[in-house]
Amino acid sequence: MMMTSAVDMTMDELLEACPGAQRALFRNYHIGGCASCGFRPDETLAEVCARNDGLDPAEVLETIRRASAEDERMMISPPQVKRLLESDSVELLDIRTREEYEAVRIEGAQFLDHSLMQQILTNKPKESFLVFVDHKGARSLDAAAYFSGHGFTNIKCLRGGIDAWSVQVDATLPRYTVE
Amino acid sequence: MNDDIETKIQAALHDPQNVGEMSGADAIGTVGSENCGDMLRMWVKFKEEGGRKVIDRATFQSFGCQTAIAVASVATELIRGKTPAEALAMSGEELASPLGKLPPMKIHCAQLVEGALRNALGGEETVAPASAPSLLDQFASPKTVRIKLQP
Repeated sequence: MMMTSAVDMTMDELLEACPGAQRALFRNYHIGGCASCGFRPDETLAEVCARNDGLDPAEVLETIRRASAEDERMMISPPQVKRLLESDSVELLDIRTREEYEAVRIEGAQFLDHSLMQQILTNKPKESFLVFVDHKGARSLDAAAYFSGHGFTNIKCLRGGIDAWSVQVDATLPRYTVE
Repeated sequence: MNDDIETKIQAALHDPQNVGEMSGADAIGTVGSENCGDMLRMWVKFKEEGGRKVIDRATFQSFGCQTAIAVASVATELIRGKTPAEALAMSGEELASPLGKLPPMKIHCAQLVEGALRNALGGEETVAPASAPSLLDQFASPKTVRIKLQP
C-alpha cells in the first residue's frame, strides 16, 4: 500500500490494506465521516484527493501511514479511566446497542443515541474530555475519529471496551457475547 | 476553516432555525438513510403570493454533519418567498452563503442540503456521492442484537 501506486488503489482496497485510513481521512480532511463527505468504494485515492480541493495525494498517503499511531494515541486503559471517573474529570459515552447497554454498563456511562450526539456536537466545549466505550474496543475508534473530525481535542477510546473493563477493573460486571 | 465561518456555523448550531418535522407539508425530500441516522430531510410548505407559488416555510431534520445542519438552518430561511424554480436554481454554496464562503472540504455539507431541497422540490432522486459506509454508519447504526451473559 505504501508504494506510489497506492494513490491508484480503490478506496475499498485502501481500507482493506489500512483499516484506520478512513478515520485518518476524516480526522484530518473531513472526508468519509457521513453521507455528505463520503466516497465511493470504487473511487481511487487520487480521485478522492482531486475532488477534495486538489489535496496532495502524497501528503494524504503520509497521513494514512500515521493512522495506526493516531489510533493508538486515542486509546486509554480501563484502570486509567477508573481513576479519571473517580476525580469526575471525564464523561463516558457508550456506543453499543441499547440491548447491550441495558444489560451491562459502566456506572455513569451515557448511552450515545442520535439526540445526545447532536447535543454534544452542538453544545459541549470542544476541549471536553470524552471517552467512548464499545464492546471490545474496535468500533469506538470510529466514534472518536468522528468527534475529532468535528473539532473535539480531548477524545479517547476505552482500550478493549467494556469487556476489558470487566477483566481489569470490575469483575462484578458480567462479560457477554453477541449472538 | 477561518474563525469567522466557524463562529457563524457555531451560532447557527446553537440556535438552529426551522428544525423539525412539519405537519401538512406540501413536499418532502430526503438525502441519505434514516436507518443509519446519516440523513437530512426537508419539509416544504408553499403559498400563493402575487399569483405565484412560493415557499412559505421549510423545515429540516438531520443527524448528520454539523456543518450540514448549520447550512440547512440558514438555507431554510433563505428560500422563503422564492418560487420552487428559483430555489432549485440555487447551488449548495448559495444556500450556505449566509455563513460565508465554505472551505472546499465543507462544500459537500452544503451539497447535502441542496440534494434534500432538490428531492423535495423536483422529486429528483439525489444519489449521495458516498456509497461506502461512512464513519457515522459504522458506529451509529441502530441494530438489534441478542446478548448472552457469560456465567
